[in-house]
Amino acid sequence: MSGSNRLAGLKSKPKPAAAEDIRKVDDVGESRGFIDRTPRKKPGRKPSPRTMQLHPKVMPEIGEGIVAEAEGLGMTQGQFIEHMWRAYKDDA
Amino acid sequence: MPVIVLASPKGGVGKSTCAVLLATQFARMGAEVTVLDCDPNKSLTRWSRRSTPPNVNVHSDVGRSEIVSLIKKSDGDGRIVIVDLEGIASQLVSRAVSQADLVIVPMQATALDAEIGSEALALVQEEEEALSRTIKHAVVLTKTSAAVKSRVQRELEEQLVESGIDLIQPSLVSRAAFSEIFSYGHDLTVMAADPEMRTGGNITAALANAEQFTEAVYERLK
Repeated sequence: MSGSNRLAGLKSKPKPAAAEDIRKVDDVGESRGFIDRTPRKKPGRKPSPRTMQLHPKVMPEIGEGIVAEAEGLGMTQGQFIEHMWRAYKDDA
Repeated sequence: MPVIVLASPKGGVGKSTCAVLLATQFARMGAEVTVLDCDPNKSLTRWSRRSTPPNVNVHSDVGRSEIVSLIKKSDGDGRIVIVDLEGIASQLVSRAVSQADLVIVPMQATALDAEIGSEALALVQEEEEALSRTIKHAVVLTKTSAAVKSRVQRELEEQLVESGIDLIQPSLVSRAAFSEIFSYGHDLTVMAADPEMRTGGNITAALANAEQFTEAVYERLK
């Protein structure tokens, strides 16, 4: 059982593979119980992408002070913390 | 070159064994063989990690969404594509069958295997109608006795032939070498030539059986 020349007679034959053909095949399969059994991904909310956002835990009165000051300046707490960080770096 | 799909919704019937024997024997004949391992048990992938003949290429973890495009990509002159499917009734199976030149349904000579295997045969026949094309299909009995043909096997063979089902002869005999090739890798000739290799059976007889089986498959691909 040797000889690649024997195999040379075996040619590739075209097969229907358009979306419509695959839909027909899926329908035929499903009617016989050949259904989509692809494992489902883990249920639930996916983890959020990393945004590098800070979530500092501070004492309650300091937190309230940051909230009040940020609101008074018309900025978010994050922007206010950026200001504080710059001030800190300038002092250093 | 042809696409051979091993299909049966039942597990443990010998799909992966048929796939590895066909892949290695066609490789010996000089073909470039692409094996698509769609079985979650990854038997062919495990075999290929040991070692493979140089002209056998194994793709692992092939799923429902990529099976058709991967078969198309792998199918070409000088290549044989062998698809080893999972042992369940799934859309992956029905899609692979739609791209086959030959569907082989391995089954052991038991009533249960025959009943579940007939689901695959019915699927092929319905896909033929839906796609208006002939999809050659055949049954091979696996893990048969080397010594005697059981009454159940004889009756099953008669029923298949009476139903007009193409029955591949010879059947694949239960041989230790067919199991051990998965842990050894490469092919039966390399196993037989390895003086360190000790199997629980006769590798030469296993090789002869694999050659005759592949020859019978080749005849159906012409």
